[in-house]
Amino acid sequence: MSKRTLLLLASVVSFCAVSFANAQTLTVGAAVFPRSLQTGQSSFAALSLVSQTNEALVGRDDAGTLRPGLAERWEQVDDTTTRFYLRQGVKWHDGEDFNADDVVFTIDRIVDPKNAYGLLARIGQVAGATKVDDYTVDIKTKSIFPTLVRGLSDIVMEPAHYYEAKGADEVVKHPIGTGPFVYGNYVPGDRYELTANPDYWGGAPAIEKLVIREIPEAATRVASLIAGETQIIEEVPVDLISEIEASGRAEINEITTSAGLILTFDVRKAPFDNPLVREAFDYAIDKPAIFEAMLQSKGELLDGQLLTKSTLGYNPNLSARPYDPEKAKALLAEAGFDFSTPVPISTQSGKYTSDVDIVNAVTGMLGDIGVRATVNVVEGGVWSQMTAAKDYGPIYMIGWYSLGDADFASVWFTEIGKRSVWINSDYDRLFTEARSTNDEAERVAKYHEMMEIMHRENPAMFLFGLPSIYATGKKIEGFTAASDKLLRLATTKIVQD
Amino acid sequence: MLRIAARRLALAPLTLLLVSFVTFVLLRVTGDPVDIFLDINRTPEQVEALRQRLHLDQPLVVQYLIYVRDLLTGDFGQSLQYGGPAINAVIPTIVPTLQLVGLALLLAVVLGVAAGFVAAVYKDKVPDVVLSSLAVVGQSMPSFWLGILLIQFFSLRLQWLPTSGRGGWENLVLPSLTLAAFLLPNFMLVTRTAILDLMSEQFVQTARAKGLSFTRILLTHIFPNMVNPLLSFLGIQIGTLVGGSIITESIFGWPGIGRLMIGAVANRDVPVVLVTVFIVSVTIIIANLLVDILQSIVDPRVRQ
Repeated sequence: MSKRTLLLLASVVSFCAVSFANAQTLTVGAAVFPRSLQTGQSSFAALSLVSQTNEALVGRDDAGTLRPGLAERWEQVDDTTTRFYLRQGVKWHDGEDFNADDVVFTIDRIVDPKNAYGLLARIGQVAGATKVDDYTVDIKTKSIFPTLVRGLSDIVMEPAHYYEAKGADEVVKHPIGTGPFVYGNYVPGDRYELTANPDYWGGAPAIEKLVIREIPEAATRVASLIAGETQIIEEVPVDLISEIEASGRAEINEITTSAGLILTFDVRKAPFDNPLVREAFDYAIDKPAIFEAMLQSKGELLDGQLLTKSTLGYNPNLSARPYDPEKAKALLAEAGFDFSTPVPISTQSGKYTSDVDIVNAVTGMLGDIGVRATVNVVEGGVWSQMTAAKDYGPIYMIGWYSLGDADFASVWFTEIGKRSVWINSDYDRLFTEARSTNDEAERVAKYHEMMEIMHRENPAMFLFGLPSIYATGKKIEGFTAASDKLLRLATTKIVQD
Repeated sequence: MLRIAARRLALAPLTLLLVSFVTFVLLRVTGDPVDIFLDINRTPEQVEALRQRLHLDQPLVVQYLIYVRDLLTGDFGQSLQYGGPAINAVIPTIVPTLQLVGLALLLAVVLGVAAGFVAAVYKDKVPDVVLSSLAVVGQSMPSFWLGILLIQFFSLRLQWLPTSGRGGWENLVLPSLTLAAFLLPNFMLVTRTAILDLMSEQFVQTARAKGLSFTRILLTHIFPNMVNPLLSFLGIQIGTLVGGSIITESIFGWPGIGRLMIGAVANRDVPVVLVTVFIVSVTIIIANLLVDILQSIVDPRVRQ
């Protein structure tokens, strides 16, 4: 055999080895990692990693629709009790059976304030859980709590026996769950390695190994996808979409999240205590134009309300105020607006898709009608101080996630939400009423009315439903963008050439 | 020499105290950990518990003194983000950063000095003009942009090297090149200037007059005298290098101390920030001490 043939053979063999290895391992490029795998951290990034190994009683798909999870079904027993019928034959990664004891343990652990469970607010009204039999659990709430089931879709179940044997500190270092993937190794700031759970109740994943890497810089993340080092990447910035499409090796996969991006006024202070001024500003902003330019039409335009179209409580009868700079000027003149007033608009940078670009465009449009608007980019730590002080300056941009139910987003404009400087007694009353019934049709009617009040009063200008943009390699099948930004990879596969 | 080292080491704790005090005060004044770590639905009991745990109910100076007291017992405090000792979060990031900074420094010094030699020897000729222009380009190029450029070329077009992450030696090439590019032009220019200065010195003129070969003059007269300015420059640049590594680590997803520090600052995780600042300061102090010692070995004048 000549040297050249040998070389050729060697390269063919190594090429096969490489593509074989690729068929087994899926690598995902994530934008941000949590510092640990502790359950209950209130960030999408943390929940996304935790949900690879651990599952909730109530499942949720990429569009945000609820479906059976570790509970096969559930029913309302009385106003404050919901009974969950658990899936049988589900095993923890160490081979132990999952049963009612684990559910009771998990709920009790979360409700205990000592554990400082960050997602406690999602099921804030829960009083406790009781075991009916090995596969039936009653969850009791302190009052009527219509969002219990949806809230539970964010609460992962944890193994009671494992906590007892190892203690909470060890569990965080080596978590076990019932989910499609089994913990391998977690290096903060670098990678999370997992293997497929061949005994997964939902069917063994198509891939054998899963590696989730933290690649904070977006341009690098995109490069890693095009180079084939990763097969799926999260959080694609809008300005890099064309690069991905032009590469021919990957494609964009996006969905609208439940987050409404809005510009909130400080209605306590002049000039924004005047509803005319607020309305004028709303007319001055060409939302469709910004949507096209800064979000490349990814996500959706809000219809003059806080809620995105797929949220329970969305009011289909409302629509955004059209772009009408003439009307805006006329309204400002009528309100006696002082054009020399500086109007800084506060925003964080990199918190939401294209955030600073959007505020830049808004200030430009306000400038067109003579308003002295400027962009005020605020660092995260300072932002949280502003939040605590309830003072961001005259206007600030923020995104509120509804997570599919109006309750979660609309609470931020009520007295009990503690964040709003705009308080409306009718709105507050409707909110409380909507929270005090399990009748869905009745709740929706209340939310419709609340959205109408907000539309009329303009405590904020409603801009866009934010997109969740992923990109995937051409060989990836069975992956869709998730509206809640959780990676669901149990049926994702890498197809062979 | 030993006395210099001893004096420097005696001053080190003072430097560390000063650095940690400034960091402590800056972080505390610009952001309240309570606002960051407890959401809006917090109960007054939760707020009180966290305030007490972090001694936020005390005046700033007292808080700092408590911190120093704990420090003397080897306790760097608990991380707010990680929920464990702050030092545990920092330790795994030290080796990656040392690898990156070490290789970058090596590249910058070796390539920079070589280029400086060439530029000085061929002063005002084509190699000098080309190298000096490259140095200006290199100096004015933001490392952020250079990093992305290198990824585009070596990882996407040529597909020789991985784009990011930590793994084998091939993962280290692009980040260390990016970081080195930050310093390399400076080393080249310092070398070039030093050589040119030395060439006009009397002892070099004498050597020439004696009829020594140019290579001989370079090796025996110029090079030994050039080491000293280069070493002092090196001492100054180590801080810059650590600063540059923060950006480089972010671009290349390198799990080092710089990225940890940025994340901790954003979360006002003061104990973690202070550990990282401590480690960086100690590194800089030790590096500068080494430079001083080396200088006094190389140059008898420094010893006096």
